[in-house]
Amino acid sequence: MNRKNITRFGRRSALGLIGTGLSAPFILRDGWGQTMPELTKIPDSLKGEGEVRIATFGGTMQETQQKAYFEPFEKATGIKVKAFAGSDPTKIKAMVETKNIEWDMAQLSRGSIMNLMKTGDYFEKIDYSLVDDGVDKAYRFEYGLEMLVWAQVIGYRSDTTKGVAPNGWADFWDTKKFPGDRALVGTGNGGWPELEFALMAAGVPMDKIYPIDIDKAFASYDKIKKDVIKWWDTGAMPVQLLTDREVTMTSVWNGRMAALQAAGVKAEISWNQGLLKRDAWGIPKGAKNATNAQKFVAYSTMAIPQARISLGIPYGSVNNGSNEFLSEERLKVLPSAPAIKSQLLSYNYDWWIDNRAKVVERFNKWLLG
Amino acid sequence: MRDTVSSTGRGASVSLAGLEKSYERVGAVNGVSLDIRSGEFLTLLGPSGSGKTTTLMMIAGFEQPTKGDIAIDGISVVAMPPHKRNIGMVFQNYALFPHLTVAENIGFPLKQRGVPKAERTKLVGEALELVHLPGYGGRYPRQLSGGQQQRVALARAIVFQPRLLLMDEPLGALDKQLRENLQLEMRRLHADLGITFIYVTHDQEEALTMSDRIAVMNDGLVAQIGSPEDLYDRPCNRFVAGFIGESNFLPATVRGMEGDIVVADCQGAVVRALCPGRPGSGAQVTLTTRPERLRFANGAHDSATVNRMSVTVTEAVFAGERCRYMLQAADGTSMVLKEPSSAAIRRRTVGEQAEIAWSVADTILV
Amino acid sequence: MSSSASLRTTTGILLVAPLVIYMVVLYALPVASMLLRSLNDPTWSIDRYKELMSDTVFFNTLSNTLYTAVIVTLGSLVLGYPVALALVRSKRLAPLILVVVLLPFWTSVLVRSYAWMVLLGRHGLINEALMSSGLIDRPLRILNTPLAVYIGMIHILLPYMILPIANALRQIDPSLARAASGLGSPPWKTFLQVTLPLSVPGVAAGGLLVFVLSLGFYITPAMLGGPRDITLSMLIANQVDQLNWAYAACLSTVLLATALIIIVVCRRLPGIGSAFKMSAR
Repeated sequence: MNRKNITRFGRRSALGLIGTGLSAPFILRDGWGQTMPELTKIPDSLKGEGEVRIATFGGTMQETQQKAYFEPFEKATGIKVKAFAGSDPTKIKAMVETKNIEWDMAQLSRGSIMNLMKTGDYFEKIDYSLVDDGVDKAYRFEYGLEMLVWAQVIGYRSDTTKGVAPNGWADFWDTKKFPGDRALVGTGNGGWPELEFALMAAGVPMDKIYPIDIDKAFASYDKIKKDVIKWWDTGAMPVQLLTDREVTMTSVWNGRMAALQAAGVKAEISWNQGLLKRDAWGIPKGAKNATNAQKFVAYSTMAIPQARISLGIPYGSVNNGSNEFLSEERLKVLPSAPAIKSQLLSYNYDWWIDNRAKVVERFNKWLLG
Repeated sequence: MRDTVSSTGRGASVSLAGLEKSYERVGAVNGVSLDIRSGEFLTLLGPSGSGKTTTLMMIAGFEQPTKGDIAIDGISVVAMPPHKRNIGMVFQNYALFPHLTVAENIGFPLKQRGVPKAERTKLVGEALELVHLPGYGGRYPRQLSGGQQQRVALARAIVFQPRLLLMDEPLGALDKQLRENLQLEMRRLHADLGITFIYVTHDQEEALTMSDRIAVMNDGLVAQIGSPEDLYDRPCNRFVAGFIGESNFLPATVRGMEGDIVVADCQGAVVRALCPGRPGSGAQVTLTTRPERLRFANGAHDSATVNRMSVTVTEAVFAGERCRYMLQAADGTSMVLKEPSSAAIRRRTVGEQAEIAWSVADTILV
Repeated sequence: MSSSASLRTTTGILLVAPLVIYMVVLYALPVASMLLRSLNDPTWSIDRYKELMSDTVFFNTLSNTLYTAVIVTLGSLVLGYPVALALVRSKRLAPLILVVVLLPFWTSVLVRSYAWMVLLGRHGLINEALMSSGLIDRPLRILNTPLAVYIGMIHILLPYMILPIANALRQIDPSLARAASGLGSPPWKTFLQVTLPLSVPGVAAGGLLVFVLSLGFYITPAMLGGPRDITLSMLIANQVDQLNWAYAACLSTVLLATALIIIVVCRRLPGIGSAFKMSAR
């Protein structure tokens, strides 16, 4: 699932805009009472000239990125950053096919990048000679580098559960114990259905989820189908549904919940059995400033720029060196924090790249056929 | 209590009593009282904005009077909606239903009255015969000429045998030739059907040709009502005299009365005129006379039945069947004289001094 | 005579040329090449269309789209006709009605759909009002159901229904109603026998416009609809996102063809075709 926070062009952009509207009044400002660490020295290999055009998911995320690493990068390297909201794999496909590449790099998911690579040659290989050693091996792949860690978790109205917190997807599925309507991710807007949650609800232990037993997952979906009033497809939607009390429980991106809580909505995250997902940088094949893009990929995944992101928005770092720049307090709300990370299932992009088309078709048929 | 106007007898009588309609725009009616006799052809004649159409619309029921009463055959219809008044109506723009055929248009009022289909077909056929359009029943109005459309409208307005037919400038949109033909046909229809016609027009010639009586309207009031001859020969005020036909208006000072004849000083001459009232000596009045009633006098025959006056010819126009002269009287008042053209009559030239004469019976004090 | 006619033709061509070029280069060509994808991506074949024939997701989505369009068209007609009538008949209220009718035009579809979410929600204004008036004791589910989609779409599309009907009504000679009334027809019968049939071209034009526009709706059903309120546009977007562009192109072709067929059929219908000719006068 792509976290298209915000502006996408055309008709669908409209849906994303709600999110902007909702989150705008309570944008999370940097710091959390903590001063931002500054990166004072960078390797000469990252310096350069010219510009790099970066596509992001826009919104609050892009504002955070602006402070966390766009501005420092310009200062440190002499390379100008031009940021564009509305990153989208379908646009990369169109750009590369028409050889009219407007972005030098884009925020995507490993799934989107690999999915495109299955049908053609759409991305440059990452130059790992530039990348910081602190970046965990798990986040590296040939055509992209993961740069943001986040979680897809249960969000619920704490004023409907009578003090009992739901714990895992079996509780989510149990509408007797936790009455109220539900929302889950559908296939709209490039959505990736949450078969993992369906399996966990059916009692499959976390370490036995992959490879996913599709039949079993849909059998589990059958049990919740009538209670799901919305199969959501933009990050703003679950937040909206919780705010308006249309549902009592939904799957949601953890960063969105922080914004919701800051607005005073009585809603909580249940981390247990969440999915640990990542965003990645990808460099479109033939991008004009590919060299600068490689430098930015390396810079933005260094310990301090990663820590600066985590201070601005509750998403985790891919660099093991970042934690020393974050307070205990802050670590508690980051999906990359050990106590939380241990409750999460790391999303298996490889399984999904192989099976997504089949699952989406099956899902559509299951819902509409 | 009857809820529609009766259709027994041939023509309805219509009585308007103190009818008023106040408007912000033109066309207000300020107190019209008229008694229209059964079977009469009455024309409401007047310039635009004189209230004639408004009066007609109130009779039809499309406008609600502000004051006054309308009675048809003695029964007040003011509170009755138009569809219950049983009045035929012909509009200037025909108002044929474009989505219905000619036969369906004509059958429309019959259908509203629940006439069975077979009967309807028969009556529609007869109505088409009556307006000389047999065989046109299957066509649509847009396939007909303007004159044909108006005949259909007429047929539609009479097919249900109303006792009163209202017509709002029905010939206004047609050319002269067609208009004259249809005028004759309407006269014929009126004679054949014997129902009451109320006809609105601003065309005085049309009014004079067709009507039994004409009500001349001005500023929302009836200026005069009478037969065409009455209005033409004995207009009772300057408006009527000026609106119907052409008139000469001569300022005069009253000397005295000779029975019903008023004697006045006018343009240096003594002029006698018919007079409905008895104005006192020295009163400033206006005398009127028609241009075609004036003639050039040859020889001096003073007479108590003929008025005479010296004038100067200021303009002379030959207009085929007649000659038209502009004359100037002693104190500068302009007059018009029309004379049938004849090779035997000497034509006057501009600047020529002349003596004119006309009958006292053709002179009216207005 | 003929030279001035040909001059007029030349002038006509010159006047429309910029738009034609604009439409061909920036609209028709891209659309055509996109539609071609349904046939030639990766190799020429009509297999995708054959597959559609047995695709239940496609059929259910298509029928849901058509059904929604029918409901929205009928709803707009029922709600819009009286408004159009009032717009034409009431000289005093007409300016106010016109503003109220056009107001939604000046607000984005997104904002309006969002406003409906606020109104129709489980704890939205309508439910709160019904609850506090004691008419219901638990909130009605309106949002995230087909009903919410109909309400939202009708609201957005009403002007497209009202304006053509009002236009047709305005073109009806007012003396026709008087004539009917004078000929013995009571007002309600006059409406049925004269006004209604003569406004059919406007109803047809409005209905066609609303129906065809309904077919392409995306945002409103996505925001207000329930889990199964998927329209063809949503399915197309879905397939684009899944990088299944050939299939998306195939669906787009079907959507476009559906709209075109409906337009062509309507133009051929007697009495309705004139609605389109009228504008050329």
